[in-house]
Amino acid sequence: MIALSELLGASVRDASGAVKGRVRDLAITPQDHPTRVTFLIVRTSVGDRLLPSDAVKSFGKTLRTTDQQSDWTTYTASDGVLLLKRDLLDQQIIDVHGRKVVRVNDVELDGLPAEQHLSLHVVTVDVGARGAIRRLGKGVIPSFTLRAFLDKIPPRVIPWQFVDLIEVDPARRVKLKIAYQGLSRMHPADIADIVEDLPAAEQKAVIEALDEEVAAEALEEIDPDVQVSIVESLDNERAADIVEEMDPGAAADLLGDLTEVRSDEILKEMDKEERDEVSHLLEFGERTAAGRMTTDYIAVSADGTAHDAVEALRAFEGGPVALATIYLTGPHDTLAGAVPLVKIATAAGHTPLSALSESAMSCAPDTPQREVASLFDKYNLITLAVTDEHGRLAGIITADDVIAMLHSKK
Amino acid sequence: MTQTLKQWRTRMLLFLAVVGPGFITANVDNDAGGIWTYSVAGAQFGYTLLWAMIPTTIALVVVQEMASRMGAVTGKGLSDLIREEFGFRITFFLMLALVVTNFGNVMAEFAGVASSLELFGISRYIVVPLAAAVVWLLVVQGTYSTVEKIFLVASLFYVCYIVAGVLAHPDWKAATFAMVTRPDTGGIRNYGYLYMVIGLVGTTIAPWMQFYLQASVVEKGITIRQYAASRWDVIVGCLFAAIVAWFIIVACAATLHTAGVTQLNSAADAAQALRPLAGEYAYLLFAAGLFNASLFAASILPISTAYTVCEGLGFESGLDKKFHEAPVFYWLYTLLIVAGAGVLLLPGFPLEHIMVLSQVVNGVVLPFVLIFMLLLTNDRELMGTHVNSRLFNVIAWITVGSMILLTLAMLITQR
Repeated sequence: MIALSELLGASVRDASGAVKGRVRDLAITPQDHPTRVTFLIVRTSVGDRLLPSDAVKSFGKTLRTTDQQSDWTTYTASDGVLLLKRDLLDQQIIDVHGRKVVRVNDVELDGLPAEQHLSLHVVTVDVGARGAIRRLGKGVIPSFTLRAFLDKIPPRVIPWQFVDLIEVDPARRVKLKIAYQGLSRMHPADIADIVEDLPAAEQKAVIEALDEEVAAEALEEIDPDVQVSIVESLDNERAADIVEEMDPGAAADLLGDLTEVRSDEILKEMDKEERDEVSHLLEFGERTAAGRMTTDYIAVSADGTAHDAVEALRAFEGGPVALATIYLTGPHDTLAGAVPLVKIATAAGHTPLSALSESAMSCAPDTPQREVASLFDKYNLITLAVTDEHGRLAGIITADDVIAMLHSKK
Repeated sequence: MTQTLKQWRTRMLLFLAVVGPGFITANVDNDAGGIWTYSVAGAQFGYTLLWAMIPTTIALVVVQEMASRMGAVTGKGLSDLIREEFGFRITFFLMLALVVTNFGNVMAEFAGVASSLELFGISRYIVVPLAAAVVWLLVVQGTYSTVEKIFLVASLFYVCYIVAGVLAHPDWKAATFAMVTRPDTGGIRNYGYLYMVIGLVGTTIAPWMQFYLQASVVEKGITIRQYAASRWDVIVGCLFAAIVAWFIIVACAATLHTAGVTQLNSAADAAQALRPLAGEYAYLLFAAGLFNASLFAASILPISTAYTVCEGLGFESGLDKKFHEAPVFYWLYTLLIVAGAGVLLLPGFPLEHIMVLSQVVNGVVLPFVLIFMLLLTNDRELMGTHVNSRLFNVIAWITVGSMILLTLAMLITQR
């Protein structure tokens, strides 16, 4: 194992054994191999030179190469390579395993024997005291004393496969194959925490790079102020793609916080179905039942059977809390009753829903959110129906929205 | 009638909208160390140090504008940027210097609290531990943001100095001339004079303010699109701070210096500067003002230092984290307060002396922070088209050069 900070500045001797330059940076080409160092940048008396890593015989305080200095080509900057010192050292990365944003103190590499030479691979990223002290002590404390001391410090490292890089430039993200697979697999609330920890440009970059569905779920969990600043920085088309995937209630809250011009522009880009739902919700005051409700709910005709309800459950795309209750509707979509999921699950397929129905708790669209919360408390609700003046089902409020509402008021 | 009322209301709203990070930072800048240093400068040297105010104010505007522009363009704090561009080792030593400097400032704030309440005969052994506990809780419990407004309104106290300065019938002509005359070259050989000049600059343009201002701009989510308003916020804030500073010096010069009081030995001496305004009750006014200013800054300095250091060195930070999730952050914050307040309880600790000394240390450290700010604000890769203008570079580099020369001169004359 060798640390990046030990390699940087190391002298490079060519085949003749003479010192020809010093290591300036190490490069990975993610398109060829995710961990292998493809070349080194060596600072020589005649400028920066590119030293292919398969020409390196040994790594350490000095690097020995098998070729001549004259074989090294001139280095020209390229977008497609990841430079360990420039792009990684001291920068912020996402620790997918630890679910947080951390700063890189050092990078640890390992030399694996390959055919005629040593091939150098990135193994871990050091984010703890060991990397920090190594860099402080380098060149000041004799290297063997330093090494002995460092061995006593427990390492805090992140395996390379759990590292997600943050790159602001979309074109470069593609070239470096940064796709945030690790981040995407995390819980939306954890993604939200990470995004909130990043600077504005990086927030935008991560949300942009994530899959729309994941981005939408994460965005729902993000603090409203940050939500607004992220969506404002996205272009309308991308913003619309994400908002479409969001829960209509959350989408309406978000669009309501944007300027009217911006919110209209985003609505225009959305699919008709989602647009109608969201713009309908937008008309209500945010602090009322209607402002808190979502239109993602399950409603089945009151004449149906348990089998119909199961079919509706299969087709449902909304959140898990909304699944808890199946609402029954009569003529003109009027609210006729409600059946808890448990009853559907335990009933035979042919049981008429009317036999399972309980009286449905509901409130008017203009009910203040405080009263909504006390209804939830009093009746131990999981969901609450919102009905208009004609008794028609307009939407539902879910318990998680109420918790979020109460929490944000603190 | 309603028309004018409406106009007035719009104007008030506009003003409140402008009260942003720049204005708050400038206000916190006139903290215990600030009030005390300006008072000592006026008492000891009369009007003769006023020449320093114009260049210092210009430098203040330039430096603060750089910090807030950097925040708006990059969305990152100053210590983050220094770490990303200059590496771990440089950041480590700079953060070490900042912790030492800010420790002095924290001491000064608690010294201000102690010294203001000693005017009422309340022992520092009661006041200092109590103030430390209040500050710690205020920030950790998250009540600070509500209290900030009270602090801000209470800092209108500075207007007292303007009134007192006018009522003291200063020699306006002498004061104005002193502002534009070439400084006495003999001063360059006088240790006490140099000490005071460095203190004046150090308290007006404190290193920690740059970190705090940039962090506040980032925190508020100000981007380059809304930056025009922020620039005004910075300029107005700086001018307000400078005018207050000018009047404190003038008020002290006109009352204390002319009366032959050139050494300020206690808060009671300094309070006399407000006598033209408040007469017998001058000490009350002074005590209230110093107390507010000290507590205000004491609530900001330790937490801002903890954030700056942890972000630069890559430790977990944030009040939304639990103690065990961000141990370095909480320990650093707590230690700054406990130790900063604790040393004041050592018997015979010179409260007044430390308030000025901490500002001199600010002045000595300032050029080093400025060099990094200059390198960063001229980095085209980082700032794009928003790099420094040539005029800004010239002013800032002159500030760096002068502060280093002044410090060298001070060290030479000390022997």
